Amino acid sequence: MAVMSGTNSNNDYPIYAEGLMRHFGDVKAVDGVDLQVNAGEVFGFLGPNGAGKSTTVRMLTTLLRPTAGVARVAGFDVVKDADQVRRRIGVALQDAAIDPLMTGHELLALQAVLYGIPKAKVRDRSRELLERVGLTGAADRRVGTYSGGMRRRLDLALSLIHQPTVLFLDEPTTGLDPMSRLALWEEVRRLNAEGTTVLLTTQYLEEADQLADRIAIIDHGKIVRQGEPRELKAQVGAPTLVITVPTGQLDQAREVLRSFGELRPTAEGSLGVGLSAGAEAVPAVVRSLDDAGMQVQHLELNEPSLDDVFAEATGYRLEGAASASGLPQAQGAEGGTGKRGRKRGTNETTGESA
Amino acid sequence: MSTGTLTPRAEFAHSAEASHAWSQTMAMSKRSIIAIVRQPALIIPSLIFPLFFAALGASSFNRATQLPGFPKVDSFLALTLAASVLQGVIFGSVTGGAALAVDIETGFFDRLLASPTSRVSILIGRLAGNALFGCIEALFFTLVMIPFGVNIRSGPAGIAVITLAGGLIGLSIGGFMAAMALRTGSAEAVQGVFPLLFVSMFFSSAFFPRETMQGIYRTIANYNPLSHLYEGMRDLVITGWSFDAMLKSLLIPIGIGCVSIPLALLALRRRLRAV
Amino acid sequence: MTSTSTSTASVTTAPATRATTSRAASGLMMRGLRTITRLPSAFFPAMLMPIFQSVAFSGTFFAITKVPGFPTDRSINWFMPLGVLMGSAFAGVGLGFSLIRDLETGFFDRLRMSPAPRNSLILGPMYAAWFRSLFVAAVVAGVGFALGARLTGGVLGMVMLFGGALGIATVATGWGLGLAFIFQDMRGAAIMQLGLFISMFLSTAQAPLSVMTGWLHGVASLNPITNILRMSRQGFVNHTVNGQTVGTGVTWHDTWGGLFAIVGLSAAAVIFARRGLNKLDT
Repeated sequence: MAVMSGTNSNNDYPIYAEGLMRHFGDVKAVDGVDLQVNAGEVFGFLGPNGAGKSTTVRMLTTLLRPTAGVARVAGFDVVKDADQVRRRIGVALQDAAIDPLMTGHELLALQAVLYGIPKAKVRDRSRELLERVGLTGAADRRVGTYSGGMRRRLDLALSLIHQPTVLFLDEPTTGLDPMSRLALWEEVRRLNAEGTTVLLTTQYLEEADQLADRIAIIDHGKIVRQGEPRELKAQVGAPTLVITVPTGQLDQAREVLRSFGELRPTAEGSLGVGLSAGAEAVPAVVRSLDDAGMQVQHLELNEPSLDDVFAEATGYRLEGAASASGLPQAQGAEGGTGKRGRKRGTNETTGESA
Repeated sequence: MSTGTLTPRAEFAHSAEASHAWSQTMAMSKRSIIAIVRQPALIIPSLIFPLFFAALGASSFNRATQLPGFPKVDSFLALTLAASVLQGVIFGSVTGGAALAVDIETGFFDRLLASPTSRVSILIGRLAGNALFGCIEALFFTLVMIPFGVNIRSGPAGIAVITLAGGLIGLSIGGFMAAMALRTGSAEAVQGVFPLLFVSMFFSSAFFPRETMQGIYRTIANYNPLSHLYEGMRDLVITGWSFDAMLKSLLIPIGIGCVSIPLALLALRRRLRAV
Repeated sequence: MTSTSTSTASVTTAPATRATTSRAASGLMMRGLRTITRLPSAFFPAMLMPIFQSVAFSGTFFAITKVPGFPTDRSINWFMPLGVLMGSAFAGVGLGFSLIRDLETGFFDRLRMSPAPRNSLILGPMYAAWFRSLFVAAVVAGVGFALGARLTGGVLGMVMLFGGALGIATVATGWGLGLAFIFQDMRGAAIMQLGLFISMFLSTAQAPLSVMTGWLHGVASLNPITNILRMSRQGFVNHTVNGQTVGTGVTWHDTWGGLFAIVGLSAAAVIFARRGLNKLDT
């Protein structure tokens, strides 16, 4: 597990967790999570539903007590100094609804009161935030009339009322249309540029790829990968070459590809191979197929994605066609299990590393 | 096919249809009873609350029975038996009506309509279930109160009439509830009628005799059919067997049913037309 | 996006703010009161019910006032204070219903994540319950006076009535919030109502102790709600000793038991609610 700065003391990390556990009866929802989030970074926290993501966030935001382990946020212990933590964090939880009977303006005013913002400043602060998230015109409308995107933006404004140094965003774009999603990403970038440390949980790998400086992948309550997306992708190794040949030539093509690297699962009717020599091997592959008299109908080279990192780390894919329910019959994939790479929980990165 | 064979077959078909409708009604009735029995949380309040209020009344108002206007009784409990039956059956009928509305809300009612089940048997079956539950409730309250000193002076025949009256009340009030359910398709709307029914009990002689009331309360109670129904059942308990009491106990719910069941059938027809 | 992955900037110098308990509670109270106009269907049944109860009981049980020793000759004088207290109790548990809704939707998580003092999360709904209770009490008392209730205990009698209403509202709110924290769904609502309803009726709700017979007499004598009812009814009924009228008006004799019951039950209910709130973290 990567520790970014060996010189940092625990107090210097805006978010720090060590051996964090939360058990519900026999269920180990979070089973020994270690996290070090550096000041001023956007940290992506990835995992499928039920992996332990939300439970971890609930512990870090003082909503739930850990069964064991230590967690410090903004330099304070989440159990012993919960009040100090609350003063310094902003949280937009996916599950924390906004009262539909109140107007945006009233909710901001209530939030300002709860955070002890002086009366004289409440109006200005609310106006500034409403303007920032583009809700000035809807401020006096009941939240029940807002669209999903508007609610998320209001939620973000609510979490910023006290200018927090650490911001937790729990699946902030789930269910949003592409335009709203882009607008929210832009706002997260702006906040981060202003110096706010952001912990972002998401199921969207693209979101993490776009926003996060570093990510952690959690599965079955444990962190299985942590680091910069670029590094993690590089660890997965070789790019995947996907080719399509006539159905009758699939077996022969599979034999040819095998000599260039490990076969990988792809959509039905195509073949994939992890090029152990990198992108430079593409001409050689094409020549070999040509020499064998095969007709290549389609060819594409895919660099490793976070989905590949996720699949490699957990044994299944988080999004896309190759879901956990079973990959499309992995034509030529060795083992033919339909699941990519290593068994869940192993840390080997295989011999295909670039 | 000869005409000679047609007639008997048509007769056979007719009788088969009738027996089929009967068995469907029985099946629907059985379903509504099973639904009640399998969800004790729904029926327990209709059994417990009337007993709770009867026990409260017996302790709170026992001395009031010595006042002028009260019939001569050993205990206030004897006066509350009929009121408990009324309360319990009204409670139960609301639950039955709400169950029909839930069937409509969940689409189960549409599934029944899509089957070759007789339309009327869907309604009658449910009302028959209500009636049976009303009988059970009436008998339950009677048997529970006997050990506490309530002497049913009209004897087993009176108990039979009270039990039957409970069934008829279930049928007639159930008719209103079914009409409401079919009309609105909303369990919440049906539940919302309960306070109205409960209020109507307070403006009757169900708790204290009409003779002890004054002014507008007494006038309303005089015209409220529930007062006369209650008094019929009460007389069977505290006075003894009388033809008049029996008629009041049975004919008043039948009269109410003559209004409520056609209303329910109308609501059913309206809903079928809308489907 | 700025990335300062090795920054060691101190994170403990962030602006730290904290609301006072009373300010945070007032903010939450306003939210609770706003529901009255924005979701009237959740509030008005709780107001109509005690009006109906006062009217129906007074009319139906009118004859009870003729029993020797009954402390008033007007049934509305006896049943209107019961309606006031019942309405206040249901105004209190109404805040419990609202809390269940907030817990189910997750809105309460938002409140818990704020640095607002934990006591304000209990006090806010409590303040709202007090306002609702005073409103319900005023309306029910108004209806009672319109139907012929006669104040025999002067202004102090009204103070006792409204004091009793606030007391019952406090107890009911604590009870409602505590159960909401424990169950976190509508099962809690049923228990809230049932518990309150039964404990209110197992008292002198319908008849005074001197008129009661049998088991209820024993239960009602021990039930602290009886003391609160006695205190609250002082402005409307005569004082009786062994069934004989000995005077009217507010006396310390009929007040202290009610105050003691209010303080004791309120303390127990608020502790119950506070413990429930603490348990949410675990």
